[in-house]
Amino acid sequence: MVLKSLADLKTIVAGGPKKKVIVAAAQDQNSMGAVVRAWKDNVIEPILVGDKESILNICAANNYDITGVRIIHEPDTDMAVEMSVKMVNNKQGDVLMKGKVGTSSLLKCVLNREWGLRTGNLLSHFALFEVETYPKVIAVTDVAMNIAPNLQDKIAIINNSVGCLIKLGYQMPKVAVLGAVEMVNENMKATLDAALLSKMNQRDQIKNCIIDGPLAFDNAVSLESAKHKGIRSEVAGDTDLLLMPDIEVGNVLYKSLVFFARAKVAAIILGAKVPIVLTSRSDSEQAKYDSLLLSAAASK
Amino acid sequence: MVDRVLSLKKKHRIAVAWAQDANTINAIHRSVKDGLVDAVMIGQSDRIREVCSNNGIDHGLFSTMDAENETNASEKAVKLVNTGEADIVMKGLVGTDKFLKAVMDKDHGIMLPDAVLSYVGAIEIPAYHKLLFITDPAVIPYPDLRQKIAMAGYAIGMAHRFGIEKPRIALIGASEKISPHFPYSADYAEMRRMAEQGQFNSCIMDGPLDLFLSCDAKSAEIKGIMTPIAGDADILLFPSLESCNPFYKALMLFAHGELGGLIMGTRKPVVLMSRSESEKSKYYCIALSCLMA
Repeated sequence: MVLKSLADLKTIVAGGPKKKVIVAAAQDQNSMGAVVRAWKDNVIEPILVGDKESILNICAANNYDITGVRIIHEPDTDMAVEMSVKMVNNKQGDVLMKGKVGTSSLLKCVLNREWGLRTGNLLSHFALFEVETYPKVIAVTDVAMNIAPNLQDKIAIINNSVGCLIKLGYQMPKVAVLGAVEMVNENMKATLDAALLSKMNQRDQIKNCIIDGPLAFDNAVSLESAKHKGIRSEVAGDTDLLLMPDIEVGNVLYKSLVFFARAKVAAIILGAKVPIVLTSRSDSEQAKYDSLLLSAAASK
Repeated sequence: MVDRVLSLKKKHRIAVAWAQDANTINAIHRSVKDGLVDAVMIGQSDRIREVCSNNGIDHGLFSTMDAENETNASEKAVKLVNTGEADIVMKGLVGTDKFLKAVMDKDHGIMLPDAVLSYVGAIEIPAYHKLLFITDPAVIPYPDLRQKIAMAGYAIGMAHRFGIEKPRIALIGASEKISPHFPYSADYAEMRRMAEQGQFNSCIMDGPLDLFLSCDAKSAEIKGIMTPIAGDADILLFPSLESCNPFYKALMLFAHGELGGLIMGTRKPVVLMSRSESEKSKYYCIALSCLMA
């Protein structure tokens, strides 16, 4: 199956058991709306860990009725985060969500060697975009986590993302390794990595997907552009997953899709024992909601 | 943009290297008909005539000149500019490297002395309130400080030609912090200081800034970051070709953007577009080159 829109995530989630989302330091104005909405829609079961009074105040101020939602009172932010992570480790939660706590503090707990959520895999950011002008959802990685991934990191990032797409129902997703050009150019490291990744895929060193690259953005998403350039590729024009060369490229692309192309987006962190939802203040409420859906769909 | 060119009431002569693909011919045809340019089409003239007749175009509208191959066509086009018979060069179906080799040739090329060769694009996006200039989506993979300074200068110059007296130029990065993780951010700090000292022509410069702070006034407000750009950038300078190239392509394919762009650092305007670019974008490029000629 291939996702046509982010709304398809709801169908996937509705078909399975309801996922427990643990919100760490849940006294958070920015994420509460999306959490409550997802709970009301019956697609997740939230567990709010944090300062109970603040949580209730925020809900009261916004007219959110959360009667029946489990709240675990822990006024200290660091303790709340630690407790949330430990609960996931004890299989009491399927998803971890960031509340009112800095990203770096949360990740420090996630990466704790004794009680964190390490799996031995690299953590990476995974985003799904719904753009009017592309016939299906396009996944993009990594636009926010790894600054300048090397070849080994890129393999891990692909494996994380392909694993997630398979959980969403994809079979052999098509992966385009992005470059500024579609030719291998020894002066552009991204194109060399792309060529290596493609070959490693052909030799089954990276499985369960079809990788081609380097592909410039236009060749990756437009069959017409690829044809015009005479590129023969199974991936060109039909990309499911677009691998970014580094965070500078990813960041700009992500923001241009959201701002200029009015894309809908859902994003999670992969590579830990469970998906992690890290939303930022500037994300729309819809994006936070869709990210929750994605996390639930990706947690199996 | 096109109106601005027509209002100049000055027709230019454009030499097109290896001008035998339908996209290029259609774009030139429209430019000639609209009174922007006269054109010399260099290539296999029988092939050019054939494409013209297939597309219902009267090939008598432009002159043709025979060339044996891509390299030869590029050299001839550049030569026409050198002899004053043309004042704009345009790439047709020839590969970019072969074309640029002719442009940059030490003896017969048209580079300005010691100039940095770079590219400035002007992109029109329905979701943005004005034309956005970007650099460099096509030529310099990883610009150093000297190249970034030249790129900024070219983009500012182009914005001035459009009548923007004090363009706002955002130096693009993944975050607004100067950090050793991002080497370009140190270059940006240097450039900002130069701008403060008036070493750039009239502009407002800030960076590193992310795309939201540069182009979305609301986001600048939410984040509470004070920047004179404040979501109203005229120019975006990117840290690498790798980031600028997918940026503009994403806008063209996903955000209904149209791009015109020019090679900079040459004595006369050079129109260089990806072979796969639309006819409309090629037309914009030609209009832009007239404005800069």
